[in-house]
Amino acid sequence: MAVYQHDVIVVGAGLAGMRATLAAQEAGADVAMITKVHPVRSHSNAAQGGINAALESRGDSWDDHAYNTVKGSDYLGDQDAIEIMCQEAGSAVLELEHMGVIFNRDEDGRLGTRHFGGQEVARTFFVADITGQALLHALYEQVMKYNPRVYEEWFVTSLVVEDGKCCGVVALELMTGKLHLMKAKSIILATGGTGRCFEPSTNGLVVTADGQGLAYEIGIPLMDMEMVQYHPTTLKGNGVLMTEGARGEGAYLLNSEGERFMKTYAPNMMELASRDVVSRSEQTEINEGRGIDGCVLLDLRHLGRELIETKLAYINEVALDFANINLAEEPCPIRPGNHYEMGGIKTDVHGLTSMPGLYAAGECANVSVHGGNRLGANSLLDTVVFGKRAGIHAAGYSKQIEQINVPDSIISKDEERIKSFFDKKSNTDTPATIRLAMGQAMNEGLAVFRDEAGMQAAYKTILELKDRYKRLGVHDTGKIFNTNLLFAFELGFMLDTAETICVGALARKESRGAHYRTDMPDRDDENWMKHILVTNTGKDLPVVSFLPVNVTRWEPQVRSY
Amino acid sequence: MKVKLDVGRYNPEADENNHFREEFELEVEDHFTVLDALMQIRDYEDPSLAMRCSCRASICGSCAMKVNGTSGLACNTKIIDVIRKDGSVKVDPAGNLPVVKDLVVDMQPFWNKMREIKPYIQVKGPEPEAEYIAPQQSMLDLVGAVGCIMCGACYSDCTVLEVDNNFLGPAALAKASRFIDDPRDEMDAERFAQLNQYTGVWDCTRCMACVEVCPKGVFPMDRIMSIRDKIMNAGMKNTNGARHAEGFASIIKNYGTLDETQLVIKTFGVFNPIVALSNIKSLFGLLPVAFRAFRKKKLPPIFHHKIVGVAFIKKIFKKLEA
Amino acid sequence: MKVAFYPGCVSKGGCPELYPATLKICEKLGIELDELEGASCTGSGVLQEKDRLLGDVLNARTFAMAEQKNLPIMTICSTCQGVMAQANKRLTDSDHPEYLEQVNSFLKEEGLEYKGTTVIKHILWILVEDFGVDKVKTLFVRQLTDLKIAPFYGCYIVRPSWALDFEDNPDRQQSLEMLIEAVGATVVDFDGKTRCCGFPLLTINEKNSVSMVAKHTSTVQELGADAMVTPCPLCHLNLDGYQPKARKQSGVSIHMPILHLPQLIGLALGFSPTEMGLQRHIVSTEAINKAVMESNPV
Repeated sequence: MAVYQHDVIVVGAGLAGMRATLAAQEAGADVAMITKVHPVRSHSNAAQGGINAALESRGDSWDDHAYNTVKGSDYLGDQDAIEIMCQEAGSAVLELEHMGVIFNRDEDGRLGTRHFGGQEVARTFFVADITGQALLHALYEQVMKYNPRVYEEWFVTSLVVEDGKCCGVVALELMTGKLHLMKAKSIILATGGTGRCFEPSTNGLVVTADGQGLAYEIGIPLMDMEMVQYHPTTLKGNGVLMTEGARGEGAYLLNSEGERFMKTYAPNMMELASRDVVSRSEQTEINEGRGIDGCVLLDLRHLGRELIETKLAYINEVALDFANINLAEEPCPIRPGNHYEMGGIKTDVHGLTSMPGLYAAGECANVSVHGGNRLGANSLLDTVVFGKRAGIHAAGYSKQIEQINVPDSIISKDEERIKSFFDKKSNTDTPATIRLAMGQAMNEGLAVFRDEAGMQAAYKTILELKDRYKRLGVHDTGKIFNTNLLFAFELGFMLDTAETICVGALARKESRGAHYRTDMPDRDDENWMKHILVTNTGKDLPVVSFLPVNVTRWEPQVRSY
Repeated sequence: MKVKLDVGRYNPEADENNHFREEFELEVEDHFTVLDALMQIRDYEDPSLAMRCSCRASICGSCAMKVNGTSGLACNTKIIDVIRKDGSVKVDPAGNLPVVKDLVVDMQPFWNKMREIKPYIQVKGPEPEAEYIAPQQSMLDLVGAVGCIMCGACYSDCTVLEVDNNFLGPAALAKASRFIDDPRDEMDAERFAQLNQYTGVWDCTRCMACVEVCPKGVFPMDRIMSIRDKIMNAGMKNTNGARHAEGFASIIKNYGTLDETQLVIKTFGVFNPIVALSNIKSLFGLLPVAFRAFRKKKLPPIFHHKIVGVAFIKKIFKKLEA
Repeated sequence: MKVAFYPGCVSKGGCPELYPATLKICEKLGIELDELEGASCTGSGVLQEKDRLLGDVLNARTFAMAEQKNLPIMTICSTCQGVMAQANKRLTDSDHPEYLEQVNSFLKEEGLEYKGTTVIKHILWILVEDFGVDKVKTLFVRQLTDLKIAPFYGCYIVRPSWALDFEDNPDRQQSLEMLIEAVGATVVDFDGKTRCCGFPLLTINEKNSVSMVAKHTSTVQELGADAMVTPCPLCHLNLDGYQPKARKQSGVSIHMPILHLPQLIGLALGFSPTEMGLQRHIVSTEAINKAVMESNPV
């Protein structure tokens, strides 16, 4: 059997994954990236609006950025981590610019900014409305330059643990159907969010909570999973994202009566209040009969055709292609839609999880810098700052330890799983059917407005689906590019993760950030300003525990925009 | 709406020599895209149908394939726009690349060519502490080329790649132009030298297939032409391509219309011994062609007449050359 | 019908059979030709490569000349058609009227000004749109029912679609097939009909250029075609003139006569192969000639 061994293995090749890989390589480690799709297909490419940073050189202060982030998180974010992210933001953005990102400029040729949600100062650096794609491709260009090893279209099926340390992965090579044991001194999970647990979602089909599922299986705690962001402006048909940058450039949100209804809910920041506030405002308008076909309207007409065609060209194309709307001439129906997972694998500020050798970065991790709600343009920042930190720390750690030995036979567990899937192929159930049922249930019970009955119903459905999953078979038993098998594995990760979202949501007896309960609408700092951890201990039900929030400077206040 | 998806399939495990077609009859919503229809087949009818897809919003580039013989993204191609008179839509894997299974192709040649053109900023001196100063317009001008999502649709439809898979291809060349046009990159001369050779910019046949199918408005052919122009302006004119372009221009300038004989002479450098020597094979190869044409009275007239008003043409040229 | 005739450079140069054939069929069809004396080359895409503005100025000059006569321009070359169509779109872009002003500033000295009203149509489109296939058929005296003919469009008359008004004129993308059927022949359809003949590569990479010729001609030969028809003399130069080389390079015994579109129309209108200049082709059209002379009268 071929032997695969590296100092650091990074699982996932999106922004966080590639940033971690490059940092680890620069720190002298033998690093390899495993990715189930080609790096530029990663969902980071769908981020549109921009990346936040306070540049001292222009009189901005990272304190203000940090405060906005803390407030935006509804005081659930760990302030030490937030401070670090905001302090390192400036150099992160400059690094990206040096890598060649074609950031927007001001008249003096220096980096230019746009306004974004939850911040009064414009500190969002951007490339038209394709910032995520621009950053992702720039990082891939660096990968082509520095040439770390990339196992492209390999899918990690499980993490390997020995002596309480994470020391490898088992991965399925999609082109050949072979399972491989890959040893490493440290593993960095950078697999992205949980979007496909919901239906609809802005997320691409590859965002299937792989890292969360992998970590959860070996007993790593997932934290604040109930904090699921519904983005205010998603298209009705396919749930695709319409960037916050549109509102940053001045677009309005209108109800069926043609009014800018945000004046009722956030009279100061209006359309640029934090996302959970805007989503709830929209949903309220829709629920109270001032929507149009379950949507409200995003109006860009007054911005003029030239601005739309230059700074917002991509969403212009999306609106035309997928909704038949010409943004310069008509308002676009949008509604809140599943978009981002603030929760994730609990890590410290170096990306280290509770298990030595196991790191996480990017959307799959929870440091926590986003707490109960993420500000727009903070996610791209999170990926590069903490991706880099995890890469450096993992590289340093790898220098200090020896590779732990694991027997080759360790892959037999996943071999058994595959065989078991193939053995059940006469079962007519399919991954797609179960996934759709899960997605619809989660969108019903864990959306913008939640209540006990709704969440319980969703949880019940998830448990039923987990049961159905045990009997799921895979009909295609081929070796080459077997997506049927891939989807079956992904579904397992999604179901486990969906369960943790339900458990966390039911456990939090208050409203905070994106978790809004109509039966408990107030924030309860006294009892609930804490993180909720959900851990798999191998028993039927996961264990819920708590962690205090790290408060450095900003005591919780009433959050209004 | 009923539609018949006529899919080009291939399963090397079953029979590595057999590329076959399979028809799927579907009932789909009116707003369905080709990708929606394919996913319906994969998710509910035949789970072995292999394809790549993710974002469903024309940004990840995974789903490039041929629909009714023309390349594009499946996720933004509406069934209603491509359904043929017989109610069918033909779907095939992307062209010019080896097929792995069904609609999945091996993209390695595409990525290798991307690597070959060194797709990253290269500077000669030290980097600035803060950001590079760059005019806003220069960044805006790059958005088109940066917008390339590397889907491979252009590569799939390129008519040169159909006969010569050494050609770097439209995507790699468009990416090269993105770095040439970036004021921060300082390797223009080296890039020109590479792209001026076989497999580079002069091997494009100017057929516009890439421009036609690019889902992102990258206009790869236009970018290839802009590199040619820059190469010539940098004084690198010792290629048949450069001689052809300059020769063409000078003939039009002096005559108003084209004289093919003179163009051939200028392109092959017939009166420049060094150049002519390097083209000796082509020149000898031309003899039988010219001879046949001569026999059939198919040669252009020996004396090429200047058109009426050629003086004005010359003035136009002069004004623009200034 | 009267048109401002733009014959292009090659119909009087490397494809001298095309020009007289065109004159003959236009007379029979009742298309009155007012040839644009003093019109320059369109630039063929080559000039545009060096300086797009220069190309647009030269073409604007031609358009202005036709505009003065108040006549649409008729082209007989796909490349001329495509290059002119692209130029005209840029010159009549209502979002940038200043461009036309800039271009016109170069024409002032000659006393010309383009106002943006000229229509440019290939004879292929004129036959299908302005005449209509049914009307054209009434003028045919022969039905070439024994012939199987493959269409080959030429890149510039099928791409890019933004310049060629396909949305308003969807028949354009089937126009060659429609005319092949109108003359009574059977269409040999193949994917390569809208691909490249390789002509632009001829002096730069002859091997690839000839490979393209070999590919298309051998494909249609295998499909049973008796001939190919093309509305582009540059394609004709390559597919016909370089076919012997294609035969040699590919090792396939290719023999595929290439017809200019006006020649095909002319044969159906009753002209003899000699009158249409078929004897000038590199690839002998003997078999076609025989079939034509033995074909059924209408």
